[in-house]
Amino acid sequence: MSADETVTRASEPFRPPGMGDAEGPGTVHIRKLVKSFGARKVLRDINLDVACGEVCCVIGPSGSGKSTLMRCIDGLEDIDSGVLKVNGEHLGYVEEETHFRALKRRQLRQQRTQIGMVFQQFNLFPNMTALENVTVGQVLVKRMPKAEAKERALSLLARVGLHGHEQHYPAQLSGGQQQRVAIARSLALDPKVMLFDEPTSALDPELVGDVLDVMKQLAGEGMTMMVATHEMGFAREVGDSLIFMADGYIVERGDPREVLANPKEARTQQFLRKVL
Amino acid sequence: MDPTEKPRIHHRAAHEYVVWVIGLLLFAGIAYTLVTNPRYEWSVIGRYLVASTVLKGLLLTVWMTLLVMLIATLLGLVVAVMRSSRVLPVRILAIGYINLFRGTPVLVQLILWFNIAALYPNIRLGIPFTSIGTALNTNALISATTAAIIGLSLNEAAYMSEIVRGGFNSVPKGQLEAADSLGMSEGMKLRRVIIPQSMPTIIPATGNQLTSMLKETSLVSVLGVGDLLQSVQLISARNYQVIPLLLVASIWYLVVSILLSYPQAKIEAHYDKSRRSVQAGAQELITDPTLLERAT
Repeated sequence: MSADETVTRASEPFRPPGMGDAEGPGTVHIRKLVKSFGARKVLRDINLDVACGEVCCVIGPSGSGKSTLMRCIDGLEDIDSGVLKVNGEHLGYVEEETHFRALKRRQLRQQRTQIGMVFQQFNLFPNMTALENVTVGQVLVKRMPKAEAKERALSLLARVGLHGHEQHYPAQLSGGQQQRVAIARSLALDPKVMLFDEPTSALDPELVGDVLDVMKQLAGEGMTMMVATHEMGFAREVGDSLIFMADGYIVERGDPREVLANPKEARTQQFLRKVL
Repeated sequence: MDPTEKPRIHHRAAHEYVVWVIGLLLFAGIAYTLVTNPRYEWSVIGRYLVASTVLKGLLLTVWMTLLVMLIATLLGLVVAVMRSSRVLPVRILAIGYINLFRGTPVLVQLILWFNIAALYPNIRLGIPFTSIGTALNTNALISATTAAIIGLSLNEAAYMSEIVRGGFNSVPKGQLEAADSLGMSEGMKLRRVIIPQSMPTIIPATGNQLTSMLKETSLVSVLGVGDLLQSVQLISARNYQVIPLLLVASIWYLVVSILLSYPQAKIEAHYDKSRRSVQAGAQELITDPTLLERAT
């Protein structure tokens, strides 16, 4: 494909200084990941390590595979080949001598509770109040007593600045409030890795700040985060590392301030000229 | 006069008056013939409208309608879930069921169930190809009423399963992904996410099926089940007042079908919570200014 001519690949996964190995809880480890939809290759040869506590921002043009990468790491998409370890475990599979054997669905669900995902379109359950949205996972999936789940949900909602909105349905909340409920809903299951798939792209510009503030706070608490975003300011301020993706490859990876100021690859330069 | 103060006036168009006149004449004409035509036999209708055999038939029609719809909805739910199963044989079973029962006339199905003993004189409960189990006489097991309920339920379930499936498909994909991402099992997803959210789509269509089922039960009169239609036919067979007694049945069908639409509206309102509360929430903001302060 002609994409290979215009795109070079980052060979060695970048390690931000001061970050540990990509092993154990709170880490993501990817080698030669390939994912296609039918004949269309969306991710080709992804290599990536995210250390515990690292905030890794993912930028790139639409169609570059950012969302698909996030969805693969959340187990929403099955990958074609390669190694994908989240929290130190192969996601959805057990490694055998000659092959990867698919986990039972119950085991995959268990792994998923360790990974939080925040969607561009929030995807809150419209038939539940904000409070119920945050308690439902704890009660159903983690089998937590209702009173305890409610108490945790109340404190999580307060933490994302939604005290007083507990009984509101998603339709009664603004986009920014909905997205913060969605973050609280994910946090309720105590994930070790949080994935954000363009969390502010569907928001009115004046509501973006509230959501980013919550994410900054979360990063400050040491949560491992991967954030697909168009918010370069957030990447510069909060990110430990930055990935630029194009045509299914990781084109460039490095310190966000460095990459945004002095991109090395021609494709990165071309993209940043347009968005900055 | 200051043009900003001038009122804006809309006159009724001339043809609107014409339509009014035609409409009133039409209604008057219908009312006139209803009242003056002696062949309607209103006195006969009045006498039999509340006759105990008619009321008994009405009761049977109503409970049979409700029972059949209950069975059909539950069975339809099961078939709809099977229809979207990952396992091919289960899916084929569901598709086969739907096609078989939707593709043959319900009247034929009813007669077949009534005469099922002709195909299977004995029903054997047990393990196939072994001698374990007991045999039961089909005729003793399946009465006319049972055959009617089985026939109508199985037929209706095929339609209900498609309605339920349509409702399931109306749930946005993102909702399922959010549930997956939280680690919910298929059962949890179905109960807490898919079914509640597909109700606004399922309920109106089910209400439609309910009213049509009310009238479809009249088919069971061919099996000799004493429903509303059968009971008025028994009376008219004796007194030859065929038309007035058919009108008696029609009046009751009409009344019950109108009454049945009331709970439908109630249930719709209940499941429309998420949409209703948009207005309720706005109202709350207006009446409680502290909420607005807290929000900003």
